[in-house]
Amino acid sequence: MRKARLWGLLWMLFVPEIQAAAKLFEEKCTLAEGQTLNVSCPTNTNIYSNSQKAWQRLKDNGEVQTLAITEGSSQVQKGKYFLEDMPSEGMLQVRMTNLQVEDSGLYRCVILGPSDPIILFYPVRLVVTKNSLGTPDSDEYPCQISVQNPTLPPVTTKLHPRPRPRPRPRPRPVTQLVPTSADRLSSPGLTVTPTNVTHVTRAPGISIVIPAACGLLSKTLVFIGLFAVTQRSFAS
Amino acid sequence: MSRRCALLAWALLALLGLGAAQDCGPIVSRREWRALASKCSRRLRQPVRYVVVSHTAGSVCDTPASCLRQAQNVQHYHVRTLGWCDVGYNFLIGEDGLVYEGRGWNTIGAHSGPTWNPIAIGISFMGNYMDRAPPARALRAAQNLLACGAARGYLTPNYEVKGHRDVQQTLSPGDQLYDIIQRWPHYRSVPQPHTPAPPQHLPAL
Repeated sequence: MRKARLWGLLWMLFVPEIQAAAKLFEEKCTLAEGQTLNVSCPTNTNIYSNSQKAWQRLKDNGEVQTLAITEGSSQVQKGKYFLEDMPSEGMLQVRMTNLQVEDSGLYRCVILGPSDPIILFYPVRLVVTKNSLGTPDSDEYPCQISVQNPTLPPVTTKLHPRPRPRPRPRPRPVTQLVPTSADRLSSPGLTVTPTNVTHVTRAPGISIVIPAACGLLSKTLVFIGLFAVTQRSFAS
Repeated sequence: MSRRCALLAWALLALLGLGAAQDCGPIVSRREWRALASKCSRRLRQPVRYVVVSHTAGSVCDTPASCLRQAQNVQHYHVRTLGWCDVGYNFLIGEDGLVYEGRGWNTIGAHSGPTWNPIAIGISFMGNYMDRAPPARALRAAQNLLACGAARGYLTPNYEVKGHRDVQQTLSPGDQLYDIIQRWPHYRSVPQPHTPAPPQHLPAL
């Protein structure tokens, strides 16, 4: 009976590790109407100096709308969209002026080629508000990276409460799955909202395996330690 | 008996918490390598999301004493000959396995041009790495430095490492070192274009 319950606890150790592995990144930019969005998309020097670059909008229905293409020149201005390709600096500069609330949505920088476009940087989630946000920091730095996990709901792991009444309080480890990167952001007004993210950036496999293995090992050690403690408590 | 076991459990948890803390490794401070005072004032916006790895393409050093002199030489060249406010790099890495503090985490460097300097930390390996690779202790020192930077909030958790040649027209950081950093977990560059397979046979005449 007890053994079955312990095995039931063990699977909980694995769930947070799997969730941590696949991270979906977006660049979230919040600006007021009339302001200008600036995005820098790294391109690598030279290799793609001859390729066309584009700024695209990803509609909710999955449709991709191309807003501006460099077309062989280094600068292009198309209405409110301005693209500057700097192959010698390995950077594509994008600017959207006179933002309106209708401009809110998901955008991306791409390199156009014979097959699928190469997605640069991260998808940009633009949010245009009617009024100014007020804080000077948000005016100067309107964009922040945000991490989202829309596929799996957050799970907290905790030990099952024992049926026998315990005379002392038991340690109850609770694992939060809020991404720690959110804590590091300087902007106080950042909100992470689960949305349908179309782009998945996966770090190379080894950078997931090692932290996941270390996390798993540390959790296993905690589990074994606490198990030994409770075994001794039962025996005493 | 049961109280002791509870204490043991808490001690175990505390120990694991400590073990998770990052090991930074030693950094040779500006004072220690007797750097000239910096006259730079432009601050880097924290947290920084890019790291650019370069090489000095100059003399190599492999002892703390010789690397100290080499750091001074690099600064001397940048300040006295090129007229910069300080040594261009944020950090220098010696083959002695030590990190030398340049402009540090907070000051904009002069290593990758006007587009990248304000958004990247520039670290430079002292030496020329076209035909040879830095020793493992130097690579470890660099990776520890970056891991520490991320842990302390100077770098974003998902910071991206780029080679100097990815962002400027240069051979830096050298073929050998560039191959190595491309295998680092935080290295990110635009995927290479797909090269079509060559034709299997010659056309008939």
